[in-house]
Amino acid sequence: MTGEVRAEKTIRTVSRRGRRAAIALVAPAVLIVAGVYAYPAITTVAYSLSDIDLSPRFRIVRFAGLDNFINQLGSGKFWEATWITLYFGLMLCLVTVVVSFGIALLLNKTFLGRGLLRVTVLLPWAVPPVASGVLWVQMFHAEFGFLNGLIRAFGGAGDIIWLGRQTIALHSVLIAEVWRWIPFATIFLLAGLQIVPRTVKEAAAIDGAGSWRTLRHVTLPLMLPVVIPVTIFLFVWAMKVFDTIFVLTRGGPSRATTTLNFLVYRQGFEQFDFGSAAATAYLLSVLTVLAIAGLGWMLVRARRLAGA
Amino acid sequence: MIATAPGRALRRAATYVGAAVVLIVMAFPLYGIILTSTQTERDIRSADVAFVPTYITTEHYTRIFSASSGVPVAESMVNSLVVAITTAVVTVAIAVPAAYALNRMRVPGRRLILGGFAAIYVLPTLLFVMPLFITVVQLGLYDTYVGLVLPYVAFTLPFMVWIMGSFVRAIPISVEEMALIDGAGLPQLIFRIVLPLLRPGIFAGLLLGFVLAWVEFLTPLLFTSNLSMLTVTLGLFRSTMDIEIGQLAAATVMTALPVILITAFFQRNITEVITAGVER
Repeated sequence: MTGEVRAEKTIRTVSRRGRRAAIALVAPAVLIVAGVYAYPAITTVAYSLSDIDLSPRFRIVRFAGLDNFINQLGSGKFWEATWITLYFGLMLCLVTVVVSFGIALLLNKTFLGRGLLRVTVLLPWAVPPVASGVLWVQMFHAEFGFLNGLIRAFGGAGDIIWLGRQTIALHSVLIAEVWRWIPFATIFLLAGLQIVPRTVKEAAAIDGAGSWRTLRHVTLPLMLPVVIPVTIFLFVWAMKVFDTIFVLTRGGPSRATTTLNFLVYRQGFEQFDFGSAAATAYLLSVLTVLAIAGLGWMLVRARRLAGA
Repeated sequence: MIATAPGRALRRAATYVGAAVVLIVMAFPLYGIILTSTQTERDIRSADVAFVPTYITTEHYTRIFSASSGVPVAESMVNSLVVAITTAVVTVAIAVPAAYALNRMRVPGRRLILGGFAAIYVLPTLLFVMPLFITVVQLGLYDTYVGLVLPYVAFTLPFMVWIMGSFVRAIPISVEEMALIDGAGLPQLIFRIVLPLLRPGIFAGLLLGFVLAWVEFLTPLLFTSNLSMLTVTLGLFRSTMDIEIGQLAAATVMTALPVILITAFFQRNITEVITAGVER
């Protein structure tokens, strides 16, 4: 808030010295972003409304109207991918937030080795997505992977085919992605926890609330304005997951891990059907925006409830 | 409920057990890949996994860096270094002036620009990639450094403008006002006052730009095919076609190492940036 007010003040101070200079400073960034985002985004609209031929060279064959969209909305593959995407997105948010919240509560205490735990929790974030994909391929390997090895070490059969069975494969990808996003979510939630005033918790304790009730009725409601932005971030990333799926399963077995984003890739760069890919990409964007709008509405309500 | 002494001891024990579990689960995959990279191929492929090594071999590391290696790991690291450093420098050089102007000067359409820069991240990258792919091919930039750096810079730029903006806002306004009263022009203000004060932010931005470019996968996957343009991430993926798991593990470690080192060294700064985000 104060930052906003101060910014306005300086804008006044410096504005006398030139709008033109300001535009010059912003121009390169805006031009590049416009060239690499706005131009392609508009061109993709044209693609989605066209019949496109890529061989021998790229050309738009004819204006196809809404055919590409209608075909997608009428295709079983599209809806299959949509449900997979939604399930994957919601599960990623749910599992990551719950686990990270637990870790954040832990890191909010004082104990020996807290610094070490903090660094360790942060580490998966530093692993490039492709590297983390390869690493999880190794974990999930059916014959000599570490997970099955671990299960055998504890006396189990340890013969789970992690990436080759439809339902399990989607959840294997989920595990790998949750592991990658825990660092971000944990640090974000921890920062939020540190803002929750200690005095409020102490007051609750004096009023006779146990630690569980303090968590449930004091900490959680106060944390909602932090939990929801994390959920929004995670959801947006879940909608864009590519590297992990590409390395782990290539969208398979069959189409079990083909999310909408991966469907766009398959249509565009495996089948070279740019028209369908463009239409799917826009439908995915609509889905993402709708989901964010829903979460944003919850955020506004939560802020109001928290009295912030 | 007032915590009794045994209750408190129990709770302490629970904290340590919890911490141990989290530590093991989060570190286990990383430990696993490092372990794999230091074991012989025969032991890697044995069904009873030895979780504690009895020996360490560096053969896979020497192999992936030797000339006979199927995937030129050393060359790909050089490529990624060139591309990532260029991306970092260019992105920061463009983002800092923009962030300054957007936060401290009256830019027409300021809210629209900042909002647009944030909204871009909501849309799937593949949406932008198709026309870019066509353009890159038509301009003859396929399989070139420029063909990689340009999309990298653009993909990183909006985020960078936001991050740099938070550093700009942290500069006390009074310092700038004082300089203006002393009759400093805009160039003096920026070069003498703002840039020196922004030094930590610029440093953080360079690291961020480097890391984001180093880990980028989709762009090289689509915009390059020549082995001489191979980046580390793409090289790593190419290695998965190889049969030797030990070498793949070694390549994974080498790909992740620079980023892990940067993160470990600067974890405090990273945490600060995120925390600043929460407080806003």
